[in-house]
Amino acid sequence: MASVRIGALLGTKRVIVCCGAGGVGKTTTAAALSLAAARAGRRVLVLTIDPSRRLAETLGVSRNPPDPVRIPKERSDAAGITTGTLDAWMLDIKLVSDSAVRRLVKSEADAQRILSNRIYQQVSTMVAGMHEYTAMEALHRLVHAGQYDLVVLDTPPSRNALDFLEAPRRLSGLVDTRAISAFLPKSDSLVARTASRVIEKILSAVFGEEFAHEFVGFLTTFTGIFQSLNVDVGEMRRFLSGDDVAFLLVTSPAPAALTEASFFHDKTRELALPFRGFVLNRSHVTDAGRAMPSLPEGASPAVQAGLPKLLALAQLERAAAERDRTLLGELERRAGQSATALALPELPQGADDIGTLVSVADALAAH
Amino acid sequence: MDELVNKRVVLITGKGGVGRSVMTAALAKVAAGRGRRVLVTEIAEEGDDYSPLARHWGRERLPRLPEPLELNVQGCALLARTGQELFLKSVLRSATLARAAISSDALRRLLSAGPSFREMGVFFQLLTALRDQTGGGPTHQLILIDMPATGHTLSLTGLPELLLRLVPGGPIAAALKEGQRYLNDPALAAAWVVTLPETLPVSECLELIDGLGKTKMPVGGVVVNRMPADPFTAAEREALTPLVEQYAWLGRELFRKPLVAHRELARLRSHTRLPVFVTPELPHDGLIPALAKLLDGASPMPLVTGGA
Repeated sequence: MASVRIGALLGTKRVIVCCGAGGVGKTTTAAALSLAAARAGRRVLVLTIDPSRRLAETLGVSRNPPDPVRIPKERSDAAGITTGTLDAWMLDIKLVSDSAVRRLVKSEADAQRILSNRIYQQVSTMVAGMHEYTAMEALHRLVHAGQYDLVVLDTPPSRNALDFLEAPRRLSGLVDTRAISAFLPKSDSLVARTASRVIEKILSAVFGEEFAHEFVGFLTTFTGIFQSLNVDVGEMRRFLSGDDVAFLLVTSPAPAALTEASFFHDKTRELALPFRGFVLNRSHVTDAGRAMPSLPEGASPAVQAGLPKLLALAQLERAAAERDRTLLGELERRAGQSATALALPELPQGADDIGTLVSVADALAAH
Repeated sequence: MDELVNKRVVLITGKGGVGRSVMTAALAKVAAGRGRRVLVTEIAEEGDDYSPLARHWGRERLPRLPEPLELNVQGCALLARTGQELFLKSVLRSATLARAAISSDALRRLLSAGPSFREMGVFFQLLTALRDQTGGGPTHQLILIDMPATGHTLSLTGLPELLLRLVPGGPIAAALKEGQRYLNDPALAAAWVVTLPETLPVSECLELIDGLGKTKMPVGGVVVNRMPADPFTAAEREALTPLVEQYAWLGRELFRKPLVAHRELARLRSHTRLPVFVTPELPHDGLIPALAKLLDGASPMPLVTGGA
């Protein structure tokens, strides 16, 4: 049996990172984890990017505020939070990226020059890995500010759970300043100047002369920023590898779930990230306690005719429950000693009230 | 379905888990069966380990360049890098320069810092496939694209307009404008949204239709997948409902499912005037041929008339 318990993670970790492909209920799981920790008395922040309107409504907070916001008192009371607190930040990439620029450059004038750059305004949300970088940057800063005991990060939506893990490398590759600065006009070595002329030719061919010129200007301005980013990415990586952090993979009982879980597990090991568990969402594992219907005495003809059909449906649900139990067993085996696996039931359709979230939170905390 | 099959390019969109790749494979079969030369593609990432779409043809992943998958069907992955290479080859008139550019890791990084360069690669590979001619006609009469999650879909369909504001002239702009002539023309292109008859998928489907419209992408219609059959008569349902409510019986979720499905289908129908097709839950074995057969003869749900 695994020695790791979700309830224990909620009580001790400073960061929980929820990864998972799109459509598996990752955001809801992140919200429920935060709620559970806040109910246990911790000061908690849930950090999500581009969240559903639904979750914002459930928690009673607005989407994309400039800073984290406390959930309203009546929600907090309804959720049974007493000594703990729950803040939510559904963050806007552009806002966070702008504030990163402000922090990274030396003077307000430099910041203004970058922020008002036409290319920056478009690029800040388009550069590959920027969503992931933004999330990590905000996470890092908030953890170190010390106003929260626990930050739960819902990773940006992606097709693949691994995207988030790969993003820092992608971004740090992109901003490899040695590679870029060698081609910028400032360089004074002969080789660099020659290379720079060749590059300018290529850039003009690709982007057109006018834009190429502007683009090189933009990169020159940005070199400094890229340098600081590079350092940050390394530092964040070290932080995420630490003991205060737990990575969870949220998955659903799809045919590819197990394959994905294996890939993810291997990847976290390869990157030396502290993987702590699988959350099997939308499963039927808990149906096991329910019974098959039997014919009530003196049943009407309609019940007599309908019940066999209901029994057929019950068989299907039982089969699904067995399949999910097998899957959970596989995940538990995969998790080994240093991690765990937990199944959550499918939420009733459209149930997105705080009460439902509390019931999920309880299931998580009890594990 | 005539409408769909006779386009040049069709994007199959929808959130994860709704059966998008299954639908893409089935539509390829429908079009191929009608004698169209089809190219099936998906937007892939470098180093993707497996592709749900390729599995329908017994492959791990789709090839980089089009290869035959079955009669009248070819397949390839749309990869940012493939498209970027094609693009560099086309704009750098000097072959030496092109080779240097393509093999230079540093330059690739520099270009990657450019706005939407990844999307641009995908876009350009698509454009190349659209342009490709064989014997006086298009090599690929219909290009079907299994699109990734919603956000990525909109960043691709919104690419031309966004990027043209930034780069109004030069080769990129020319390629974008040429692409727009295909993608924004309802006679040539359409996005189809695949969804499930459930609360969240229907809401997200309606949001996606909205989003696509804002990027000027014509929307062809919606396919509601895995519509559950209702085995109960109205009288049986009425008699059983109190019992099912009272006891935590196994079978309860499936008993309720058709009701939710009908409610959500009605909500979808009343919120859009697009054609809506409904396909049933089908057994896993022989899924693609069965679905293709259904789609081939399918007619859309009637529009809601009166006070919806």
